[in-house]
Amino acid sequence: MTLKSTIARATAKSAYWFLHTILHRGGTSLPGKLAVSIDPNILTTIQKDFDLVIVTGTNGKTLTTALITRVLEAGGYTVITNPSGSNMVQGITGTLVTTKIKPSPNGKKPIAVLEVDEANVETIAAAIKPKMFVLTNLFRDQLDRYGEIYTTYDKIIAGINHAPEAVVLANGDSPIFLRGDFPNKRKYFGFNHIQAADYQPEVAPINTDGILSPTDDSVLTYDFITYANLGKYFSATDDFARPKLQYQVTHVDTLTPRYSTFNIDGTPLRIEIGGLYNIYNALTAFAVGREFNVTPEQIKTAFESNAQIFGRQEAIKVEDKDVTIVLIKNPVGTNSVIDMMKTEKDDFSLLTLLNANYADGIDTSWIWDAEFEKLHDTNMKAVATGGERYQDLRVRLKMAGFPDQAVYEDLKQIVTAIKAFPTRKVYIAATYTAMLQLREQLGAAGYIKGGF
Amino acid sequence: MTDYNISVAHLYGNLMNTYGDYGNIIALTYYAKQIGVSVNYQLVSLGDHFDNENFDFVLFGGGQDYEETIVAKDLKNKAQQIKQYIENDGPLLAVCGGFQLLGHYMVMANGQKVDGIGVMDHYTTNMHDQKLTVLNDKRLTGNIVIKNNDTDETYHGFENHQGRTFLGAGERALGTVVSGNGNNGMDKTEGVIYRNVYGSYFHGPIFTRNGNLAKRVLATALSRKYPEIDWTDKLNQIETETF
Ligand SMILES: [Zn+2]
Repeated sequence: MTLKSTIARATAKSAYWFLHTILHRGGTSLPGKLAVSIDPNILTTIQKDFDLVIVTGTNGKTLTTALITRVLEAGGYTVITNPSGSNMVQGITGTLVTTKIKPSPNGKKPIAVLEVDEANVETIAAAIKPKMFVLTNLFRDQLDRYGEIYTTYDKIIAGINHAPEAVVLANGDSPIFLRGDFPNKRKYFGFNHIQAADYQPEVAPINTDGILSPTDDSVLTYDFITYANLGKYFSATDDFARPKLQYQVTHVDTLTPRYSTFNIDGTPLRIEIGGLYNIYNALTAFAVGREFNVTPEQIKTAFESNAQIFGRQEAIKVEDKDVTIVLIKNPVGTNSVIDMMKTEKDDFSLLTLLNANYADGIDTSWIWDAEFEKLHDTNMKAVATGGERYQDLRVRLKMAGFPDQAVYEDLKQIVTAIKAFPTRKVYIAATYTAMLQLREQLGAAGYIKGGF
Repeated sequence: MTDYNISVAHLYGNLMNTYGDYGNIIALTYYAKQIGVSVNYQLVSLGDHFDNENFDFVLFGGGQDYEETIVAKDLKNKAQQIKQYIENDGPLLAVCGGFQLLGHYMVMANGQKVDGIGVMDHYTTNMHDQKLTVLNDKRLTGNIVIKNNDTDETYHGFENHQGRTFLGAGERALGTVVSGNGNNGMDKTEGVIYRNVYGSYFHGPIFTRNGNLAKRVLATALSRKYPEIDWTDKLNQIETETF
């Protein structure tokens, strides 16, 4: 370690200490910024202390990263990871330079598992040669901020090209990941839970993107679709098809809003969160674990003994109501949430909240690509809309065939809204800043404690 | 049971539907249903034949640059039929990329020039065009309000485009920009009207937030198919969603 990097690290650590202990403020961006300003090569300097796994993609990064962390820890590794939300360069640098890295109990090199924003993959990969890139999925996501999926993938490839030795472990169910010119070894995970006799070849619905064959840009056909553009695809015009999967979900037993049970490569598993999309997150963590020689039994234990990490879907009690809060931010995520609601056996009510601040995405047009019409296939008994853009949602749901809605223009009425529902179970689907406001209201009313 | 129906073609709906464009069909269907009209939806995509006589309304949405280049190649095969549809006063809504590809050409952000089918007279350069006098190298992103000078209607939406479109002879704007940027940020025009073709950069999608325009286009489509009925009068009796 050079003197410069030692000073950079020490400065970042004291800044972190000052922010957290004295000012009680979270965040690792400022320490990261300070460290880089003292030693621009700080990341390169510290890379020899650990192996790096980069997790990137549109949906599910945070939970997947948390799961991988627990899985690797169960396998005896010391793991460094970044807190949710600080997935850009400054925050990641801050995390890496302020964490004291202990040796792994299993004697192997510690592993840094980092959730990295798609646009920041190249910077991180250029500085610290990763051992592995984990690609979860690529969907349209707030195009006003992130741009188009092929452009996003190009940015990821630019990062991959900095580390030709790294393994690219990708979701094989996503055709876009078969694209890209890079020499790296590729491995795939995906779903194989449907028997060939039950295949029902279909094309993806029109609100799906990323469905073109990388060979001739024809529209792909799927033997089955799990959700969005994910599934077992093939080309009708040539012999392009989904690649061989190294890790696969072989069986899905139960899907409920609260948990799922399924098999990966013969190991029966259970996760304490609903939604098929979360099985993908578990599959990803399983695949990474196996790549680092964590045993299936250890992975199973990691999932079962860490139920609290599935907390992104938050369950709270408001008087006699069982309230589940879910974040929505793009069409695929919202459709997945609606699919999960289809597995709800009890009657429920739904409150949808839409804001259009920067963190939500300022373009609300995506709500028209979310299939709210599918709510007709659920046990939903009442629906209400709110948030700063309640008008957009009100009309969206009205045109989806839900003319009777309670409309809450002001989030201060949130507790009233929840209590007014006719069912005991209540789901709240909110965009990011609407969720923050919601939490503030619920906190003020004493239904949740602490910050976010 | 409805006595009347219209057939809707969604041009490249599986590739050009990036900003909720399908919402325009949801809105059209919503109003149609209330006056006893059903809507038959048909996706017309790569390799499919588009027969101009089969449709009463056409939606051509926007896509990602990558898909747009693939659509542009296929579109040439449909150009003749689309031209006939337009010249026969067929109602069409073209959004963003769809709007651009009906014109002579468009230039993408990376400078790649993509041929349109030139069935309309506008053309689209990119944000790096040297002739721009404002907002060079910037995307035009944000809320937008325009006023339709023919009808005095006001339309609300959201725009997000790097392309700069300039209208040609025989084309007039869908509206004059009240706030926001519009076609090119320079001449206060937004979108296009040519015969019964409406083009726009509005996401939102335009028919969902501007029920007045949705009803107007629906009335045009219905009057063309069932001229004996006063559709405008029927539509005036149902509630309009505008926000
Ligand atoms: Zn657009």
